[in-house]
Amino acid sequence: MKRALYITLNEVKLYLQDKGDLAFGLLLPIVTFALMYGAFGGQTLFEATAVIVNEDGGNYSTLFVEQLDEVEGIDVELLTATEADAKLERSDLLLALVIPAGFSETLASGNKAELVFKQRGNGGQEGQILASIARSVAEEMNQEFQVRDQVKSNLEGTGIPEDRIDVTVQQFLEEERGQPAVGVVEEVVGGSPDFISQFLPGIVTMYVLFALALSARTIVEERKRGTLERLLTTRLSANELFFGKFLASVAKGFVQTLILLGLSYAVFQLFTPLSFIASLIICLIFAAAAAALGLIIASIARSEDGSVWIAVVFTMVMVMMGGTFFQVSEGSILATVGKASISTYANDALRTVVAEGGSLGDTVWQLVVLAGICVVGLAISRLIFKVLPGSK
Amino acid sequence: MAEEFLVVKDLHKSFNEFKAVNGVSFSIEKGEIFGLLGPNGAGKTTTIRMLSTVLGADSGDATIGGHSIRRDAEAVRRIIGVCPQDLALYEDLSALDNMVFFGRMAGLNGDEARAQAMTNLELMGLEDRARGKVAKFSGGMKRRINLAIALMGNPQLLFLDEPTVGIDPQSRNHIYENILGLQKKGMTILYTTHYMEEADRLCQRVAIMDGGQIITLDTPYKLKSQIGSPEQVTMEDVFLKLTGRSLRD
Ligand SMILES: Nc1ncnc2c1ncn2[C@@H]1O[C@H](COP(=O)(O)OP(=O)(O)OP(=O)(O)O)[C@@H](O)[C@H]1O
Ligand SMILES: [Mg+2]
Repeated sequence: MKRALYITLNEVKLYLQDKGDLAFGLLLPIVTFALMYGAFGGQTLFEATAVIVNEDGGNYSTLFVEQLDEVEGIDVELLTATEADAKLERSDLLLALVIPAGFSETLASGNKAELVFKQRGNGGQEGQILASIARSVAEEMNQEFQVRDQVKSNLEGTGIPEDRIDVTVQQFLEEERGQPAVGVVEEVVGGSPDFISQFLPGIVTMYVLFALALSARTIVEERKRGTLERLLTTRLSANELFFGKFLASVAKGFVQTLILLGLSYAVFQLFTPLSFIASLIICLIFAAAAAALGLIIASIARSEDGSVWIAVVFTMVMVMMGGTFFQVSEGSILATVGKASISTYANDALRTVVAEGGSLGDTVWQLVVLAGICVVGLAISRLIFKVLPGSK
Repeated sequence: MAEEFLVVKDLHKSFNEFKAVNGVSFSIEKGEIFGLLGPNGAGKTTTIRMLSTVLGADSGDATIGGHSIRRDAEAVRRIIGVCPQDLALYEDLSALDNMVFFGRMAGLNGDEARAQAMTNLELMGLEDRARGKVAKFSGGMKRRINLAIALMGNPQLLFLDEPTVGIDPQSRNHIYENILGLQKKGMTILYTTHYMEEADRLCQRVAIMDGGQIITLDTPYKLKSQIGSPEQVTMEDVFLKLTGRSLRD
């Protein structure tokens, strides 16, 4: 079996020498990824830094700063008035939130306090969004004050100490903030909110299938070039040769997934270490199944072009039927037809792990199907694999 | 009589209805260089492919070093080296990588394979191109690599199927000397060629094939004597006399 590994190594060496295959196999996934990043990379959250000049420094201004900081995607930067003014002057900054001196005191005494938006021009798009977020935070504080006042005035004369009321109301408000009476649930029509985690499985499985075309072609090419026949005059057995080619094909398919998944991990943080490993295992099993099918194609194809055509048609049919670019709804005709596509199982398994936070344990069924395809595919291709017509 | 290393008994091979090899028998002694000659399509390559175990014979058998090509192909492959008629190399790899790879397939370990690769490249006069990509070699240089690969693993029997086609006279002479050197070390060689003077010079005995059969088998000297004075006639005269002057497929 050691010789089978040399076959694999040699094939990988050849792969690295072939600029066309390399571009197709390694560069294209990276380009696809870059496109995905371009399309969806900025999609996540509004992110901005709110510049605040806190001239007050009292309880309520601090509370406001804290609450604004808690808003997802918003960072707070505290500047002095002079610093902020200088930045606004230089257009380094388009909007600063100024909490004037006496803000907390005014609020504590039950009067209305004001926030000042110091802005250059209209404050810029980001500034406007920031301002509206700041407004809603202030609005929330306002309502809380009103509640507090209301409670206080209703309980006036009952003898309950004022600080007791304050503490209780505060507790109530905090609970309310955590679990608002009127909550907002995001319901996105046509897929999960995260495009990439929906999209990635399909892209990954598609590339694995493309790798199958390359592998099938190299074997047909090698047969034609005579090196396969030459190998059979050495100590290498047909089984070792077959197995070596299988491993090489798995390796090629797997490298592509490694690139795509690795980049998604690094750039989109789509994974936890555990889900990353789970995804790699799914991809490895899928690559093995695809490699076995690639060997069948290599066995039946008569020419390089033939092998590429069979592989491309096969890949496209699998990709279309397998819900690669969209999720197939259960019970639909496509879902039934899709059961005949190897991609379906890989896509399902990957989506379970990537998009739904499932573990390998949740994908056992799909993995068993893929492993089955691999075993049956290997058996069939071994039966029909001929180094050359008339040979063993 | 010396030990017979290769014994071929009544080999047959048809492609569809066409009889490419039609009852070929001969034997080669250990340490002999044996020439297999014949016009295009005579069945030389088909015979070699059967003997080197990649093509199954329809009937008949052969033993190499006592091992049957039909029943013990694995043992046969341990002791043979093949230089195929058509180039069979990885053009995208360097000469050295090709040699080391096939050396490994012939059962050598990494160090042995590298050492032998360099020795064989020297034999072919290509030691300074060891790291060059084969794709960038000239036709003759590729031929020499094709031949050098066959030597990896020190086989006991070499099948050389037109090893010197397209190689310049200088290198060819160099290669002849090396082949004679291999013979001195005890290697047995089956050699096919269309260069009759090459067969005359290298081979102790030659068989001439035509239409899938051996039509004559003897030493070059005796074959020449059959049609005239051996000093005056050439092997080419013998060849043309026996196989006719009309064109083949
Ligand atoms: N795989 C094959 N399928 C069908 N016919 C074949 C095959 N291989 C060889 N033949 C036929 O068998 C005959 C003998 O071919 P072979 O290659 O053995 O000839 P050869 O003596 O080596 O000729 P050359 O000197 O041209 O190399 C030819 O007519 C050839 O067309
Ligand atoms: Mg031939």
